[in-house]
Amino acid sequence: MENFRLILLIFLVLCALFVSFSKNLLVSVVIFMSYSLIMSIIWVLLESPDLAITEAAVGAGVTSVLFFITLKRIGAIGKEHPDEQDETTKEINSRPAVKQFGKFYKGAAVTLGAAIIFALLLMVSNLPAFGDADNPYNNEVSERYLEKSIEETGAVNAVTGMILDYRAFDTFGESCVLFIAAACVLILLRDDKTDTTAKAIQDEKFEPVSDTILQTSAKILFPAILMFGIYILVNGHLSPGGGFSGGAIMGAGLILHVNAFGYKKTQRFFNEKTYKRVTVCALSFYCIAKSYSFFTGANHLESHIPLGNAGDIISSGLILPLNICVGLVVACTMYAFYTLFKKGGM
Amino acid sequence: MEMFRFMIAAIFMFCGVFCMASAVFGMFRFRYVLNRMHTAATADTFGLLLTMIGLIIWKGFGFEALKMIIIVGFFWVSGPVSSHLIARMEVSTNKKLEEECEVKKYGEL
Repeated sequence: MENFRLILLIFLVLCALFVSFSKNLLVSVVIFMSYSLIMSIIWVLLESPDLAITEAAVGAGVTSVLFFITLKRIGAIGKEHPDEQDETTKEINSRPAVKQFGKFYKGAAVTLGAAIIFALLLMVSNLPAFGDADNPYNNEVSERYLEKSIEETGAVNAVTGMILDYRAFDTFGESCVLFIAAACVLILLRDDKTDTTAKAIQDEKFEPVSDTILQTSAKILFPAILMFGIYILVNGHLSPGGGFSGGAIMGAGLILHVNAFGYKKTQRFFNEKTYKRVTVCALSFYCIAKSYSFFTGANHLESHIPLGNAGDIISSGLILPLNICVGLVVACTMYAFYTLFKKGGM
Repeated sequence: MEMFRFMIAAIFMFCGVFCMASAVFGMFRFRYVLNRMHTAATADTFGLLLTMIGLIIWKGFGFEALKMIIIVGFFWVSGPVSSHLIARMEVSTNKKLEEECEVKKYGEL
């Protein structure tokens, strides 16, 4: 077992090196995919199968697909001669300032990389030994979470109590990551065509074909899916579910609506402006609410947020509104990814 | 009586599982997309319905049975529509459709 783990770790390092040294971007993406698969096996060996599933699905599956689509959109793959540069690129690259900046960039990148590697190795050497009995895996934290979560957070579902109360800072970071990812996709893939006729033609091209059967079924299913998403969202502190899963269902409902009725009808209630407003409002509300509770908690002040009756729908203090915020961000991000990859705009 | 109910439920569930198994078998056996779609649709609709009826008979009619009925309703609305979309995609993108299957012109129907 020890040898197997060692082999996997060596493969991991080799994959990381090959990704950075390979000249072909397509090969890099495929090696990165195998990196994620090895990582997921390691997660299973470390007894966290949930992370392994996430790593295999998101790291190896979705991320690679996103990489492929992005490389295709920016024209890095699918060309006859990928190394061939056109005249303007050559001209820009031969300028002395650009050359000097290239040298500086390489030096700075090597220095920064070496510094980060040094810091991480220093940190690893200070970690407790693998499999030690006194490690945090076995200490009182998990017991405390399971025993006291109803009393302290008011959430019947202990997992929600953990991710939105004890570890709310983590979840805030995750929501921000989603927002940043959507913003990056927006920067990379948005079509800013100034020519309005060309834009209209392109919009026409990506408009889904109107289909009576799909529209009729979507009329029945869209409200049901949205309602089910909201049900999971607001019951996050009582039953399995919560912001991430409920938001994903609502996002799927929005995507169904676009496919059935087209962009024009969806834009009546969800366009780029709505997306920006909803995500920014949700994230800033999360930030302000959690800062308040962290501030009062750290200074041993009374937070004046009632926990309510455990088991009621309006209970457990901040968890319900925070769940709604996370769900809104997730739903908006899913829909934004879909439309941006499909036609480059919302 | 309990035994009798369980027997009926087991027969229903067995039929449902048989439908799904034959659908999976057909999925890998057939080579053409429309045939595959046809077999896969059986699992989504008939197999699921029979399995859920078996479960409802076994567990009795309660809140869980209501949830199962909603699941069956959802699949009966969404499954055939997805099959329809796959078939439409195949018809609109395959240029050699006549070689694969018999195509009737719109007027002949």
